[in-house]
Amino acid sequence: MYKKINHYLRAIWAENIKEWKIELTYKADFVRGMIDPLVYVLPYLLYGIALVGGRTSESLEKLTGTGDLITFVTLGYIFIGFLNMALWAMGFSLRKEQYWGTLESVFAAPVPRWVYALGMAAHSTMHQGLMISLQLIVISIVFKLSVNMGGIVPSLGVVGVMLIALYGLGMMIASLTLIFKQGWLISEALSSLIMIITPIAYPLAVLPVFMQKAAMALPTTYGILTVRHFLIGEKMGFSVGTSFLRLAILCVLWVVFGLIVFAFIDKRTRRSGTLAHY
Amino acid sequence: MRWNRLKADLAIIGAEIRKTAKIWFAYKILMFFWAIFPLIWVIPYLFQGKALVGGMSSAPFAQLTGTENYMAFVLIGAMVSTYIFSGLWGVGNSLREETYWGTLEYIIASPTSLLVVLIGKTLAEFLYATVMVIFQATLATFFFGIDITFGKIFPLMMIIVLLVIGFYGFAIAFAGFTLLIKEVHGWVHTLEWVFFLFSPIRYPVEVNAITKLVSAFVPLTYALVAIRAIILLNKSVINLWQILLILGVMDIILIAGGYILFNRLEYRTKKAGTISQY
Repeated sequence: MYKKINHYLRAIWAENIKEWKIELTYKADFVRGMIDPLVYVLPYLLYGIALVGGRTSESLEKLTGTGDLITFVTLGYIFIGFLNMALWAMGFSLRKEQYWGTLESVFAAPVPRWVYALGMAAHSTMHQGLMISLQLIVISIVFKLSVNMGGIVPSLGVVGVMLIALYGLGMMIASLTLIFKQGWLISEALSSLIMIITPIAYPLAVLPVFMQKAAMALPTTYGILTVRHFLIGEKMGFSVGTSFLRLAILCVLWVVFGLIVFAFIDKRTRRSGTLAHY
Repeated sequence: MRWNRLKADLAIIGAEIRKTAKIWFAYKILMFFWAIFPLIWVIPYLFQGKALVGGMSSAPFAQLTGTENYMAFVLIGAMVSTYIFSGLWGVGNSLREETYWGTLEYIIASPTSLLVVLIGKTLAEFLYATVMVIFQATLATFFFGIDITFGKIFPLMMIIVLLVIGFYGFAIAFAGFTLLIKEVHGWVHTLEWVFFLFSPIRYPVEVNAITKLVSAFVPLTYALVAIRAIILLNKSVINLWQILLILGVMDIILIAGGYILFNRLEYRTKKAGTISQY
């Protein structure tokens, strides 16, 4: 048993290292990728400042208990990085192997498919962690974010639990690319819709009721609300314990669902002989 | 002789438009995606506005833009930016796509100039973007109450033509760049964020001194200011002659610069013998 786990862990690490090596071969693209999220958040912040004529919003304070729109939006925005990890980095992992012509070799390796997916997840988590850290450092320097330092450790705990649920989502998307091949449309459409119902730059209260209900099925909703609760005191409408409990349930549901969909599609594509189709 | 040459070039342009249209119709889901999603991408900005100001109008926003209606502001930005992003991907990346399809060598080997083919691609892209924008404008009129009357259509089209002439000049130069450096996905993404940050697509650039300064060199800034003035402030096109003049001058510079750059880059790639390299 120990040998088997060790064997899987080595495969996960090898996959992670392989991804880093490929990524660091294209240095200019790597640097651009680091700057991208930083630049993408700026229109949200500048738009907010243009709307209220400063960085403090009375309306936001009434809705959430905190009026500092810069800190509010920035903390929400970092979760887009985690969503991208599931929808793009993990979701596109199998498609990338197809581009490189290595999918069949990877699938022929003596490890279960989920081990491969976890290797991709390990790389994506580290990569996103790096990008988010850079984003937070620069925004903190430029806009002087003010957060409760005591909330950092529990926030990392929330993010950790949320990531497990996102891995389930990422595995599901990755398997869909085996059927649809050009799966970017699925990732793009899903990420656009998830971005609307996730309370990134606004609280849940401004969404229509059906969107609020849909948001409750997403781990990122609890992740964002709870992290902002710990760091800037956002009112959540439920307790921290409830948030952790719901996140734990979502973890189980998404991971089980992701694994089932992955196994089903993997079996179907191999049976239909379309695995190698481009 | 000259007349025959012109006729042949027009036939090539017509053939390129037909070919591009056939490819679009082969992927109907993509047409649906590009017609709908640019509007979906602005929905988070509408909810953010509602959360920050507690309603659908903002006085500080009016001080910067002349209109309190931030919803109309971002919707117009989204519609007009369709031309920019379709130009970036459809024209700037078009020769790269021919290498994906394995058809670039055939085009180069044919007795026609690459520039004529690119003009065909540019016109096809303009028609495609116009169909998308008409569809989006219809949705914006019915669902979001944006007032685009028939009397405004001619001046709006005039500004859009002035915008795209210069921009497509830039995109043609960019297409030449793709011949040289091959993979440009990252560069296109970088240009996307340059436009999002340094032109008033999503927010009024006047809110920050740096974005205000840099955006003065981007034609899209002038086009958006003029288009919003016509739609939201009911200004006549005659009142906007200074903006039209600036756009006209920028067009001349960009078209001439684009033409020279493309020819130089094409010559350099052919001389290096790397045109068919992937």
